[in-house]
Amino acid sequence: MNNSIVVVVLASAVLYGTPLLYAALGELLAERSGVLNLGVEGMMLVGAVLGFWAVQRIGASTPLVLAGAIGVAALAGAAMALIHAFLVITLRANQIVSGLALTLFAGGAGLSSYLGNDLSLGDAPARHVFRDVNAFGLQKLPVAGPIVFGQSLLVYASWLSVIAVALYLSRTRPGLNVRAVGESPAAADAMGINVTAYRYAHTMVGGAFAGVGGATFSLSITPQWVDNLTSGAGWIAIALVIFAFWRPALCLVGAYFFGAFAALPFTLQARGVTVAPELFQSLPYVMTIVVLVLVSSRGARLRLGAPAALGTPYVREER
Amino acid sequence: MRGIVKRFPGVLANDGVDFEAAEGEIHALLGENGAGKSTLANILIGLYRPDEGEISLYGRPTHFHSPRDALEARISMVHQHFRLVTPFSVAENVILGDHRGEGRRFIVNPRAIERRVAGLGERYGIAVDPRARVWQLSVGEQQRVEILKALYRDARILILDEPTAVLTPQEAEALFHTLRTMAAEGRTIVFISHKLKEVKAVADRVTVLRGGRSIASLPSAEATQRSLANLMVGREVEMQGRRERKPPEARSERLEIDALWVPSDRGGPAVKGISLCAGAGEIVAVAGVAGNGQRELAEAIAGMRTPAAGAVHVGGKALRAGDPRDAIEAGIAYVPEDRLGTGLAPSLSVASNVVLKSYRSAAVSRGPLLRLGSIRARAAELIQRYHVSGAVPSTPARGLSGGNLQKVVLGRELSGQPRVLIAASPTRGLDVGAIETVHAYLREAAGSGAAILLISEDLDEILALADRVAVIYEGALVGEVDGATADVEEVGLLMAGGTR
Amino acid sequence: MIRVERRLRRPRWLTVAVPVGSLALAFVTSAVVLVATGHAPLHTYRRLIDAGFLANGALSSSLTSATPLCFTGLGAAAAFRMQLFNIGGEGQLYFGAIGAAAAALLFAGQSTPVEIVVMCLAGAAAGAAWAAIPGLLRAFLHTNEIITSLMLNYVAALILNYLIFDSLSYWRDTSTAEAKVFPQGKTLPDAATWPTSTLHLGTAIVVPLGILLAAVLAAGLWTLYSRTRFGLEVQVIGDSPRAARYAGMRTRRKIVAVMCLSGAIAGLGGASQDGDFRHLLDPRGLSQAAYGYGGIVVAALARYNPFAVVLVAFLLGGLQNAGYALQGADFPSGLVGVMQGMILFCALGGELLVRYRIRFGRTARPVVTTA
Repeated sequence: MNNSIVVVVLASAVLYGTPLLYAALGELLAERSGVLNLGVEGMMLVGAVLGFWAVQRIGASTPLVLAGAIGVAALAGAAMALIHAFLVITLRANQIVSGLALTLFAGGAGLSSYLGNDLSLGDAPARHVFRDVNAFGLQKLPVAGPIVFGQSLLVYASWLSVIAVALYLSRTRPGLNVRAVGESPAAADAMGINVTAYRYAHTMVGGAFAGVGGATFSLSITPQWVDNLTSGAGWIAIALVIFAFWRPALCLVGAYFFGAFAALPFTLQARGVTVAPELFQSLPYVMTIVVLVLVSSRGARLRLGAPAALGTPYVREER
Repeated sequence: MRGIVKRFPGVLANDGVDFEAAEGEIHALLGENGAGKSTLANILIGLYRPDEGEISLYGRPTHFHSPRDALEARISMVHQHFRLVTPFSVAENVILGDHRGEGRRFIVNPRAIERRVAGLGERYGIAVDPRARVWQLSVGEQQRVEILKALYRDARILILDEPTAVLTPQEAEALFHTLRTMAAEGRTIVFISHKLKEVKAVADRVTVLRGGRSIASLPSAEATQRSLANLMVGREVEMQGRRERKPPEARSERLEIDALWVPSDRGGPAVKGISLCAGAGEIVAVAGVAGNGQRELAEAIAGMRTPAAGAVHVGGKALRAGDPRDAIEAGIAYVPEDRLGTGLAPSLSVASNVVLKSYRSAAVSRGPLLRLGSIRARAAELIQRYHVSGAVPSTPARGLSGGNLQKVVLGRELSGQPRVLIAASPTRGLDVGAIETVHAYLREAAGSGAAILLISEDLDEILALADRVAVIYEGALVGEVDGATADVEEVGLLMAGGTR
Repeated sequence: MIRVERRLRRPRWLTVAVPVGSLALAFVTSAVVLVATGHAPLHTYRRLIDAGFLANGALSSSLTSATPLCFTGLGAAAAFRMQLFNIGGEGQLYFGAIGAAAAALLFAGQSTPVEIVVMCLAGAAAGAAWAAIPGLLRAFLHTNEIITSLMLNYVAALILNYLIFDSLSYWRDTSTAEAKVFPQGKTLPDAATWPTSTLHLGTAIVVPLGILLAAVLAAGLWTLYSRTRFGLEVQVIGDSPRAARYAGMRTRRKIVAVMCLSGAIAGLGGASQDGDFRHLLDPRGLSQAAYGYGGIVVAALARYNPFAVVLVAFLLGGLQNAGYALQGADFPSGLVGVMQGMILFCALGGELLVRYRIRFGRTARPVVTTA
């Protein structure tokens, strides 16, 4: 039963959806503060390469090394996001161009590739990886076993992250403040909220999440380093934030939905069904466009649309 | 506040202002638009930093680096444009940024806050449903939320920037009542206004600003409206004579508006079945408090907004609904309230802006190509003829001051010999000299045969210019009076929604 | 105290000084990366410049890299001028290549001039059609064109892959058994190979037809935007859509028109790829250098000025070419991307100096009070 195609696809949807989920949660935090960061792909790749480097070069017990690698990946992602934050928040640069510049700088033909080559990381498989755990010994449970209880720690951590981000935004004071900063920086500023600090913090935390998302590839899904390892997951993550109407819980659903599209062609191929993989691979993009069109009417925007100040710099003393 | 100086690029907004307000006092800050009132207030709440001067609170020198410092010192401000997060609930807006009491907690407890907000609202007579989303509220209710924010923080000093501009007289009276209650508790209220009547009505003391300087500070009981006006303007105010009117003759209607319904941005109707005519050479005023459908009416006539029903005729011919180009070609000139952004493209040169509407004509373009030389010449001519100071044809529009911007817009709109001119608040924010110039141009345009629709909330302006006055209230015309015999009280009452 | 103020007027010298300064700063910061990873920056830079511009045949190769960047850069600049952020140049280039390849195959047997014309027309039309999707959505449904055009890049890449790798399409070579195992595009007819000209400046420099076409396009675009009614409308709509509506401009039509123009230019880049360099529909070759994204970089660095686009494309093309030439054990492959990113970061930061005046301290300058 656990080999039925539905279960296999769902289990791998969770696997492939996890990096998307991390990256989308991060992007969601940045966008909720009003900063659009198109550099997700670059941040993921730098997180992936440096996380992998940590695993290869730190000598310690596996749990310690993996924890360290995740920390390194998060820091690397945050450092990349800092560049973007400095350019768009302090220097008021165009957020779109700056985000693309970040992807160019850090991405598959940039820093991540440079580091991967310069540190000669391409030769060997990972020395430590996140293995699937048998949570509560329930891995063999029908249906739910492989999907829910047979995943790696990164998957369970991502679920905790979704809950944490959702509660943070809806129930806590900083969460309320950051939503205000994204909706109306002028109102937030007038109420004594430091708009600049909130935007920096959330952009960087967003970068850290993207870094972890990237490390999910190099430490769990395909535990090795090749150039362009994430192969466009960062862009899907950006799409996912829109697809999820900027809500963390919907990000989870969307990530597994999109993850299933990534997994389906391989699963089908393994069972001798040949379908053009491009068909499934293009669905996340096409569906995002459809959702964007559906939410672009004015009324829909008011209820569930993007943070109103998304993409615009906030300058106090200008007239 | 002593010797406050604040400069902006190209503008000296405050030039050594002194200001002092006592506890439990309603203190009016009176001045014309551009006198530096808002700048001074923004310095007091830490939004701007003064270039020179010092601020003392309760005898102690204070330096504010950000709005947060001012809030800590329990100073709050109700801005002219509300600082509300519209998708948030009232309660969420009220606790935003607060970090005392309920606000100190990391976890937000909506119920407790809603109870407190409801309690405050009842106590001060400004009840608003704490769970309502701000975008669902009327403008008056949104202002209440702003005041609730201040009360929630237990503000010692509350600054209100032109609070009555968006209110009906009844709402304004209710606001004054709330302010008096607050002052009676020992709070200081700083009331920014340029309306003499309400300053007299509500304030204990008045400080007058002019041209960025503080001119006088006196108890309002010792001042008369006329003496305040003189201080504000800096010279004896001539009550403008009414315009000489042609005797009514059999005239042909130039502009006819027929049972026009226009939707607002929010979806509901903003203009509810207005019918109105204006003849050649006639100035018809649409008087009303801002926000009663004037903007939507003007935009519908100019073709910028599609009416839900009804029609606009120029010289007997119906305009195509929602087509600005058709309106332009029918000879409708429009001076929009928003000069920079609608009337002019801010980053483009004066020359480009001068041909903003006429670039399609043969005089300006040859086939698809522009005649750049002739465009420059036109701009230079307009600059000279309308005395636009500090500009050459290549100056970007945003580099001009308000009065000069309006001269460029008016000059362009009048240069086409319009058959109809819609002027929406044409003198808002202008200084006295510029206002007189604008009025002169409007009279001149009427003299040369244009039908003019003057949309304004300034009764002095309306009575000085209009042949007929139609009063708009909540999207409908509630009365029409003859300009020559109109009575200020009567029009004012109609504007407030009263009945004769 | 540092204060940032909006400039009322932008001095002309700044528009030259800032890009040059940004370039210098980018080299300095990249040097920091090099030193940190144990490379000698000066030596590396000398090798880069040598391989990009000075070595034998370097200029010809650099022109090859610069040609597609010119097209995508012009395409991006055309749209960005109207604040229309078409970042779909990548996909529009693919579609241009698909369209041009189809035309070249269809018109097999015709003369070279005919082939060039039909390839250009088909490439431009296909690019414009792909760009029309986000354009129409933006104009009529107010859908953000940034995300839609970005998403369509991936869809276009997948379509391109599908045509060659996962189907037996018109474009795929199925003539031999080997071609069925290792899929690739049909070779275009010989007449569809665009002619080159050769410049003799010490060494022989091969100039592809594409870059000449791009230069002509740049001049055309400049004329269009600064001398015509269409250009005035584009400027007004880009600056203030409300003012454009007020002036009776047909904003929606212009949005669609500018998106199509932008897509057509990128599509021409795809046609030039087919005709100038690849001579078959080549998904890997088209996508490996990310010309579409590179074009946005070029446009941003050139501050949307068409002539500057050509110049910047040449410089970045040279850098890219040097990266390919030097790739190896002692020259990490990502370095060129790092440098390109760094140049763009610095240029973006430098933009602040053009738009704003930065003042230090409290020194007061004479202030003009305007009424």
